[in-house]
Amino acid sequence: MTATATPPAHRERKPRPPRPEPTAGNIVASTSLTVLSVLCLWLLVHLLLLGTVSHDREQALLHRELRTQLAGATAPVGPVVPAGDPLALLRIPAIGLEEVVVEGTAAGDLFAGPGHRRNTVLPGQAGISLVYGRSVTYGAPFRRLASLTPGDLVQLTTAQGRISLRVLGVRRDGDPLPQPAAAGATRLTLVTAAGAGRFARLTPGSALYVDAEAAEGFPAPGGVPAVVPPSEEAMASGTEALPLLTLWLTLLIGVVAAALLALRRWSAGLVWVVAIAPVLALAWLATDTAMRLLPNLI
Amino acid sequence: MKRGRAVVGGAVGALLGLAVLTPVPAPDAAAVAPARAAVAGGAYRETRSLDRTMVETTGERTVGSYEMTVSADHTTNLRGRERIRISWQGAPPSGGRASNPFGEQGLAQEYPVVILQCRGTDDPDLPVDEQLSPRTCWTSSYYQRSQVLASPSAALWTVDRYAAEPDVERISGLEGVADEECATVRDSASFYSHLTPFVAASGEVFPACDRDTMPPEAAVGAAFPAAEVAAYSDTDGAGSVDFEVRSAVENESLGCSHEVACSIVVVPIAGLSCAAPGDPVTTLDRNCRQYGEFAWGSSNFAGLGIDQAVGPALWWSESNWRHRFSIPITFGLPTDACDVLDPRPPVGFAGSELMAQAALQWAPAYCLNKKRFKFQLNQMPDQAGWNLMEKGDAPAAFVSGRKDRVGEDPVGYAPTAVTGFAIGYVADKPDNAGEVSRLRLNPRLLAKLLTQSYPGSALGKGHPGLGDNPLSMLTDPEFIKLNPGLSTRDTEAAATLLSLSNSSDQIEQLTAYIAADADATAFVAGEADPWGMTVNPAYEGLTLPLAEWPLLDTYTPETQDPCRQANPSVYLTQLAAPVTTLRKISDALIDSWPNVQTRCDGDPTTVSGWKIGRIDRQAYGARFMLGLVSLGDAERYGLRSASLATAKGTYVAPTSRSLADAVSISTQDEDDEYGPFQLDQGDVARARSAYPGTQVVYTAARTHGMDADEAATVASFIRIAVSEGQHVGRDNGDLPEGYLPILRTGSTAKLWAAAQRVADAIEAQELPAVPEEEDDAPDDARPPADTGPTPPSAPAVPEEDEPAGADEPRADKPGKRAKPEVTVVATEAASSPTAFAMLPTLLVLGLVAASASLVTRLVGMRRGGRR
Repeated sequence: MTATATPPAHRERKPRPPRPEPTAGNIVASTSLTVLSVLCLWLLVHLLLLGTVSHDREQALLHRELRTQLAGATAPVGPVVPAGDPLALLRIPAIGLEEVVVEGTAAGDLFAGPGHRRNTVLPGQAGISLVYGRSVTYGAPFRRLASLTPGDLVQLTTAQGRISLRVLGVRRDGDPLPQPAAAGATRLTLVTAAGAGRFARLTPGSALYVDAEAAEGFPAPGGVPAVVPPSEEAMASGTEALPLLTLWLTLLIGVVAAALLALRRWSAGLVWVVAIAPVLALAWLATDTAMRLLPNLI
Repeated sequence: MKRGRAVVGGAVGALLGLAVLTPVPAPDAAAVAPARAAVAGGAYRETRSLDRTMVETTGERTVGSYEMTVSADHTTNLRGRERIRISWQGAPPSGGRASNPFGEQGLAQEYPVVILQCRGTDDPDLPVDEQLSPRTCWTSSYYQRSQVLASPSAALWTVDRYAAEPDVERISGLEGVADEECATVRDSASFYSHLTPFVAASGEVFPACDRDTMPPEAAVGAAFPAAEVAAYSDTDGAGSVDFEVRSAVENESLGCSHEVACSIVVVPIAGLSCAAPGDPVTTLDRNCRQYGEFAWGSSNFAGLGIDQAVGPALWWSESNWRHRFSIPITFGLPTDACDVLDPRPPVGFAGSELMAQAALQWAPAYCLNKKRFKFQLNQMPDQAGWNLMEKGDAPAAFVSGRKDRVGEDPVGYAPTAVTGFAIGYVADKPDNAGEVSRLRLNPRLLAKLLTQSYPGSALGKGHPGLGDNPLSMLTDPEFIKLNPGLSTRDTEAAATLLSLSNSSDQIEQLTAYIAADADATAFVAGEADPWGMTVNPAYEGLTLPLAEWPLLDTYTPETQDPCRQANPSVYLTQLAAPVTTLRKISDALIDSWPNVQTRCDGDPTTVSGWKIGRIDRQAYGARFMLGLVSLGDAERYGLRSASLATAKGTYVAPTSRSLADAVSISTQDEDDEYGPFQLDQGDVARARSAYPGTQVVYTAARTHGMDADEAATVASFIRIAVSEGQHVGRDNGDLPEGYLPILRTGSTAKLWAAAQRVADAIEAQELPAVPEEEDDAPDDARPPADTGPTPPSAPAVPEEDEPAGADEPRADKPGKRAKPEVTVVATEAASSPTAFAMLPTLLVLGLVAASASLVTRLVGMRRGGRR
């Protein structure tokens, strides 16, 4: 869709009619475009602003929960942890990152913060652990990952203790993998999405990896699952959220229709006051659910 | 112990004073004249004179005098349940032989030899609590040690001429017993009682006046049967018994261990020496002067009353106790000594149970030496141990035969011990004539037992195809021909050989022994033996050898027995009831307790009201059971081993000689200098004198691919095991009996040389020269499976068809062998067009739509305004 050429403005300044009536076709076109525009901009606002709000709130809650669990020695040590539970506190002073890592790398899990891929050992344990994080949306915890340099400190606080890892390097698609870690070492691979070129911040189309390693990791329990669903792999998206999205959209349309009906009977002010909250809440829910259909690392 | 001892005679007063001052006085020099001969190897031999001398109104009258010699075959470094052979000559001949001489059942005998295990040693120089006394001697019932509420005419101990003064009282032996205990004894007004309380190792005093005041190990139906015995001397006064010692593990109250010295006390019962009779002579005096109801050598299976003056119940009475032989014994370290004394992590060698007794003695020689490692034997089926070793979960495995390799690393077999298995048995001759000392078996008899071809009892008679077979081996003409003179009363236990349920090299060799015999093979194939016995159809045509014996029978008898109706089960499998370890079979043989599961009991806790369980222990004198045991266990626990037929008419028992003969005919493959030695059963038959159950236990370890430290540990173990570990003895680090030492010379020289060779190869960890191509092929095979190797110079082109996120780490940790260089793998591509385009599209679309909407509206307004 392109912008139509606007006719040149007429010079004569007649007294305007008080309420010019546009044509029916115009009304339809204009309203459709408005709705489309509102929808696009709402999505942007949600991804970039409201998502950050929800991410920050989730982090605050998770941080509190993890603190309690660490103090009570009930924080998980694996191998299987319920998705969404806090696992570890990840600090990277070089880029000012401090985030609670949650279990699971599905798009929905990463709303709350960086997620640990479930078929790897927990962060800090001997072996290789993968942590995925978003680079643009929902607080964008990993947005500055690309600026890490070898030797930067990565600190982890987990149920098994504190451990400091050193960054080995940043790699993108096609770069050589670092050599396998020695027995007993722990390696943490942070994964996010990154773009290239001028609009790199807006076009995070491919994955970016940061490897960090410490010579001695915590003991890892056996029994880590062998595979994860495809929707939890890097840059993957799933369709599991579709039924829920349908439900939320139906409810949203229902509430809007009810508000329109109510406008015939009651005053606009009253209807606005009553309807705005449920409409916004349903819109938020529907948008969050829709975002689960998008790739998980952006 | 405070009880003094008076010695009747000229110096009563002086000796009594001495007795009060010294807790255990030196034995009466006149009565006790020990002539101990120093015997090497912990054996014991002692001679002393016994007498029974009455004090009569006319003076002393000696009614019996004996010169008795007691010997024991080994007394040092004993382990729990080990059996010591105690034999004697010159004892009073026994009469009224009981069917079971152990524990309380042996009380109704005359002139027996009471043998007890007591804590402490018989040395007056020791502190009181380290000396033995009747109070530290174990009995499993209170009436073996205490006389409770006896009538005045039966209180024979009160007229013992040697009795100490307190013991002639109406109630005696209550010193150290709390006042509130044994009220029935204290309150009785006219009955006589003498208690011999039991002092436990903890110092606790058990009054032993009824069954509730005995130590917990003396409970009825305790885990272990009674070991103390009132043994029987034949008409010449000779006898012998295999006495089972109990360590603190089996009997905590008795508490014998490597730290607490103990003794075996042999008290020959020569009869009470009675004090001067009263005037007039009382019934009590007459009862004391009795000489036995039963003739020498007679039996008292009915348990009729005996003359108590010559019975075993008064063994503690000074007349008898002063005749005691105390055999000091020492216990070895308990099995968990290394776990307690050495905090280092153990190096677990996995595999054969044949090593159990050797490992018991070897382990302390490793763990107590800080320069060595902590050796531990993890017993498991040979194949399981082998698999662990090949996977690197165990540094080495103990196996006794060639195993198929599943890994790619070569494995060396280092001969470590020569031992084997035996068909252990416990069998009594009929009419209580003692134990069968030689049992002969041939492959066909073993095949009959293993194939469950004996019906066992009338229940099995209905089994199709077994109706005409003898019920058990005891009535099999073939067995009777080989072993004449045994009981011919069929028992269920005599229809089976207690064997292993899991896979093992012992079963494999036993079945190979059967398979090598033409007669046995023909029997299994379905041919009847010369007496018409045929194989159980369920096993007909079974192909031997097998590493694991299958239970193939499916016959469930139909009976009117409500218990069997409630618990229908395969009868012959209940008879066989194989177990998982050789040690369990040894325990069953020690207890003569067959694992036959056909006992039916009412059980109100179950729905059916019935349950099936293990039958009772066999009655002494009517025992017959067979079991597969290791030679180490057989020697340790004094089990008897059957002689196995090799050639026609030749039966070979497991001895050092027959094991050595078997080693000398075993051969190693010519092209495999690290391989095992094979014992061909055909060669055994030809050699005649070789024992068919001989097995060499090898330490099998990889000669390539092991961690260098681990390899050095295994190599050092092999070298120690075939040098100082082959010294036969009972100390830590010695080779126990039941094993043939591997020496540098003689028939085992080739095993010694092979062990050195393999130890060198294991330590070197070099690939053999033959398969030399692709030296690092195993390493190349190991890079991550999901990404291909690429040269380091050129970054790899991402493979589009690989799933996203394919750089996921391998689930398996990098193997210990992975070299950290050479592998260069490219990061796998993970991209998404949606992610690339979404945000710009949303932004552009939103802005354009907004402006378009504005324009459309403006245009529409204008048009509307013109109209």
